[in-house]
Amino acid sequence: MKVSYLWLKEYVGETMPPVEELETLLTFHAFEIDGIEQVGDDAILDVKVLPDRGADCLSHRGIAREITSLIASTLTYDPFYTSTPEITSSERVRAHIADTEQCARISFALMTGVTIGESPAWLKQRLSAIGQRSINNVVDATNYVMYALGQPLHAYDAKKLTEKNGTYALGVRMAREGECITTLSQETYTLNAQTQLIVDGHSDVPLSLAGVKGGAHAEVDATTTMIILEAGNFNPQTTRKTAQRFKLFTDAAKRFENGVSPEMVSPALCEVVALILEIAGGVCEGKCDTYPHPARQEKVLVKHARVESVLGIPVSVEVIEDILARIGCLFEIVEGGWSVLPPRERIDICISEDIIAEIGRIYGYEHIPARIPTAKPITEYNARQEYSERVRHFLIEKGFSEVITSSFCEKDEVILLNALASDKGALRSSLRGNVADVLTRNMYHIDLLGIPYTAVFEIGTVFTKDETNHDVVEYTACALGVRTKVSGYTPHDDVILRTVIQELEAYLGTVLGGSMENGIYEYNFSELLTKVPAPTAYTAHPKREVVTFKPYSHYPHLRRDIALWASTDMSDVEVRSCIEAYAGDLLVRMDLFDTFTKDGKTSYAFRLVFQSSERTLTDDEIAETMRELEGALKERGCVIR
Amino acid sequence: MKGHQHPITQMISEVNAIFSEIGFVFAEGPEAEREYYNFDRLNVPKDHPSRDMQDTFWFQSTDVPKPTVLRTHTSPVQARYMESHTPPMRIIVPGKVFRNEATDATHEAQFYQFEGLCVDKGISLADLKGVLQFFFGRFFGGDVEIRFRPSFFPFVEPGVEVDMRLNSGNSKLVGRWIEIMGAGMVHPNVLRDSGIDPEVYTGYAFGMGLDRLGFMKYEFDDVRTLYNGDLRFINQF
Repeated sequence: MKVSYLWLKEYVGETMPPVEELETLLTFHAFEIDGIEQVGDDAILDVKVLPDRGADCLSHRGIAREITSLIASTLTYDPFYTSTPEITSSERVRAHIADTEQCARISFALMTGVTIGESPAWLKQRLSAIGQRSINNVVDATNYVMYALGQPLHAYDAKKLTEKNGTYALGVRMAREGECITTLSQETYTLNAQTQLIVDGHSDVPLSLAGVKGGAHAEVDATTTMIILEAGNFNPQTTRKTAQRFKLFTDAAKRFENGVSPEMVSPALCEVVALILEIAGGVCEGKCDTYPHPARQEKVLVKHARVESVLGIPVSVEVIEDILARIGCLFEIVEGGWSVLPPRERIDICISEDIIAEIGRIYGYEHIPARIPTAKPITEYNARQEYSERVRHFLIEKGFSEVITSSFCEKDEVILLNALASDKGALRSSLRGNVADVLTRNMYHIDLLGIPYTAVFEIGTVFTKDETNHDVVEYTACALGVRTKVSGYTPHDDVILRTVIQELEAYLGTVLGGSMENGIYEYNFSELLTKVPAPTAYTAHPKREVVTFKPYSHYPHLRRDIALWASTDMSDVEVRSCIEAYAGDLLVRMDLFDTFTKDGKTSYAFRLVFQSSERTLTDDEIAETMRELEGALKERGCVIR
Repeated sequence: MKGHQHPITQMISEVNAIFSEIGFVFAEGPEAEREYYNFDRLNVPKDHPSRDMQDTFWFQSTDVPKPTVLRTHTSPVQARYMESHTPPMRIIVPGKVFRNEATDATHEAQFYQFEGLCVDKGISLADLKGVLQFFFGRFFGGDVEIRFRPSFFPFVEPGVEVDMRLNSGNSKLVGRWIEIMGAGMVHPNVLRDSGIDPEVYTGYAFGMGLDRLGFMKYEFDDVRTLYNGDLRFINQF
């Protein structure tokens, strides 16, 4: 949420810390700051308000109140705790809530004789600083108070409502299936019964999507002189679902879906009426407040010993009581601790741990030392982990590399309700498909990788349906595959695999019971675990050196083999360095794959792999490189074979 | 020719080796998880946004007897372990998790996490700070400092965001604060629902992405390369 430094300062006063200090203060004691932008002489902070603090902190007053808690001062002005004269009740406006689960409170104020016009410069500036467009003085006032206090508000043109004997009626009800509303942005939505509406109580015409967006029917325009202001408290889930269904992620909806205290309704209505009187004139005729079940705040018992045992540090009575007072809690001392009444807008504070979290963050988590754990033997060993590791290390020794592939696939027996993409709608019942795909794709890289063929394995979860128990079941499978030809599977692949499987079975002392299909062998690893002894320790496998990943080129490589009789005075090292010098930067790999000596002369055969990280190499340019290279070797007395 | 081990399982093995020295048991749970364990038992409110279709993969209701999801985190194993064991308990839970979100260099629909949980008498935030300092010090091979910032997760209270700074060693990470994981003290509701008396026992829990740990340890930069089986990537490890 974007907040203006200067706006905050109006609430905090002269003790307001400078911007950089404020950033640190909030980051370590309240909320992360996603960014700070300088706008004229103001700084706009993007505050990441935590989900549980949506009720009180999605507002300038809320953030300012947080700052005063942290710097141990008080707000210059707090609308929630200032006894402004209440707006008197008026008989001219009536309201009815159909379901108090959906709307806990609604309050309407009737104002006459207002003059719609431009907002004063200060108001325009406040709104534009946080990225909001000015519309007119009345609409701006409702928006301003929302960003100031966190209570969304709405203004209707009263003359567009049905009047009966000088009175107006408003209703809060769920929409009827198929009912329509046109919003302020002139879009028409067809509603369902899960959408809550504010309606004209006399005509039953929808006036707005409750807590989400206003309707066009009673829009405030240049000719408006009589307005009805709304401050309501709407069900978070219903508001969220409506906002999602129609993709109307408005600032009002964002606040309601986080939960707003119904106690905010009155102070916010007072504020907006006062502001409109100031900038648009007119008279407030009075209000109608419908609040059938006023919220009751519960006291929370906090034990001193508990505070210290959860935080892990001694915290004095003075520090705790100071923090409780700073955040606006009322408290009385009870046996071993305090009975605490949180401020009414802090609906997030419900249990002792909530208070302990407040004490911890305000006192400062930097005061908590690191208590280093002591060595402790374990008595329970995870068989899946231990045997996975044993199988992995065995297969790695045999030349297999481990892959982890996608659990999703295009078609299989278990289909997800909500797929990410059409080719990821199902869950794999076997690892075969992915392993086959990995083998095929990697065959193009074997020269680059310096391996004679591809051999991979995966140990992973697969999913099937259990029709008898009407459930989805999962188990760990292990699949290993070999591919020796780019063109695809050949029976020779099975021959290599069979040897490895026999050795693995001997190593594990049990048969695997899997099945071989086109160069891929898959077995049920979970079942294997039932046939092997439970581990009594974790095998320590040789530690690998920590490597740093090097990005690889996505362009194709070219392979060239060269065989030569080396001159008698040349070692293989010299041959290598001669090749490297002439092959240039495009040579990414060189493997000596054959060497023999005859009649005092040595033959070397090297495999050279060329690749660019910027482009596709042509046969011609590499042929040229090879000619130069061969020429250089000949000059050194080598004979190219 | 020798093969190569996938960096994720290398890290899991290393995490397990470090934690097993200080009494943490390697625990596990299903990837197809009941909504009850994935959300309810972790104090996630019924209508919490994280249960939405765009965040969570759901199984067809006709296939399962109870609402079931692809687990969105390894945390349900906390609830499963707590209800079947009695404190003191110390576990780590490495495993695959799923999120229904668009894929890019830092987001995958599947990735790996590891979770830690310790429940005992007198466990505090100081123990949490200590265990993380111990672990990251060993994992990155250097002297590590841990810092907490306030945060919020439904299954812990207080909840903290954890930053670490490596103060010695050869890593590129030395000298900078890095946001590394979410953690906190196990919420009393979570303990109570698992049959553990929160008046007697307290606990801490932490969780982080193994992919993210790999970004830091091995300096790779695209999470997708972890799961496409490309040996040009895997054979570097």
